[in-house]
Amino acid sequence: MAERTDGKIWINRGVFVLLAYVLIVIDLLPLDMRPSLWAAPDLLLAVTLAWVARKPHFVPVLVIAAVMLMTDFLFMRPPGLWAALVVVLTEAIRRQNREFRNMPLWVEWATVTFGIVAITLANRLILAVVMAPQAPLTLTLVEMAGTIAIYPLVLVVAHFVFGVSRTAPGELGSKGQAL
Amino acid sequence: MARDKNSEDFIGPIRRLLVGVLVLALVGLFLVWRIDSPRVERMRAAAIDAVVPSFDWAMAPITGAANLISDFQSYQQLRAQNQDLRRELQQMKAWKEAALQLEQENAKLLDLNNVSIDPQLTVVTGVVITDSGSPFRQSVLVNVGARDGIVDGWPTMDAIGLVGRIAGVGQNSSRVMLLTDTSSRVPVTIQPSGQKAILAGDNSGNPPLEFLEDAALVRPGDRVVSSGDGGVFPADLLVGQVALGTDDRLRVRLAADYQRLEFLRVLRSQLHEIIPDPDNLLAPEAEFFGPAVIDPAALSTSELTDG
Repeated sequence: MAERTDGKIWINRGVFVLLAYVLIVIDLLPLDMRPSLWAAPDLLLAVTLAWVARKPHFVPVLVIAAVMLMTDFLFMRPPGLWAALVVVLTEAIRRQNREFRNMPLWVEWATVTFGIVAITLANRLILAVVMAPQAPLTLTLVEMAGTIAIYPLVLVVAHFVFGVSRTAPGELGSKGQAL
Repeated sequence: MARDKNSEDFIGPIRRLLVGVLVLALVGLFLVWRIDSPRVERMRAAAIDAVVPSFDWAMAPITGAANLISDFQSYQQLRAQNQDLRRELQQMKAWKEAALQLEQENAKLLDLNNVSIDPQLTVVTGVVITDSGSPFRQSVLVNVGARDGIVDGWPTMDAIGLVGRIAGVGQNSSRVMLLTDTSSRVPVTIQPSGQKAILAGDNSGNPPLEFLEDAALVRPGDRVVSSGDGGVFPADLLVGQVALGTDDRLRVRLAADYQRLEFLRVLRSQLHEIIPDPDNLLAPEAEFFGPAVIDPAALSTSELTDG
């Protein structure tokens, strides 16, 4: 049956912003100020990529840019660079969104993996070129691997908890247009 | 499908242009940060100042729950802990006796010398709001800022030891760069030997000592205090103890409890007196070489005051 799925689009955008807010707050919790030997996966990045790959119209590019710029400011990263890289990556995935619909999961995962590795390397490269201080390499690699590994898990949570899944064939928008 | 393609062709180029502008703006911000860092860092401080206090109500329950869980875990070790504490208490009683005697002795000596502890070192106490949120940066945000007269560069302590320095002041909040941050460098003195060194944060729990002149004179267990060199910090703030790391480098076990930083004291550090022309410190060269004429009156008074 044809269903109208994008009627609650603003609610879904709000849900994404709220989720990003919660993830940022959890990162900021002052629980233990000792330096950690390993880095937790960048959940916010994984969630953003999962949302873009599955339901791109839930995450407008402006929202991504604003959230990422805010985290740049809050997490003491060089402001703007990571946000710009993430926007470029999400735009690339957004363009591929239609092809993802009838491809197996591992193709999507491989594409996302490639994207995460690319922006992480680009980030380090640009910081090296402008001679800005860098984070330790091992921590960056651990974080990158963690983000890649957790991506399928994020997809499962997105599907079952937030109802963010691939657009099924025959799904219609609120005005009856094809999605 | 055809209609969809059409609409995409219609919106596509404009959207692409706008996204391009957005990316350029972000990269521009990054370049401006690289060129004129202080201005953008002030912008960052203002942004954090506006956003983070609104997190407070959201964080309180989560922090409370996390503390509850860690407290609950500690119940399991309660018995062992109890025995340890009893044993320590026995030792402490002996120490307490010694400390009391020393305190009395100290008070007497201070009284004799008429020494007053530096009255310029007053403190502002703040509460930690958030940590840096990233594993690469070691800093915390405290809830005192320019409104409370906080100035960049002031040292910050917890109850016992040095924690870090103020780096970035907003109206209601300020950032404390911890000693463990990779960009933290603090001149220190190692106590019994008097060796000077730089405590260089390297994102590990026990930062290493660098530029140590003679490592043979320093032994694990020595006290490390700030040296006051370069006017970075006031002298003689406790930093920690020397320890030998697994990589055979001398490191410092910090005295401050980094596991749970809650209340931080920001010291109102006064500027050092700057001596612009060290030559004039010496008295003008005397013209008379030889024993000076002794003034008996001056001699007798100086003897009186010495006694």
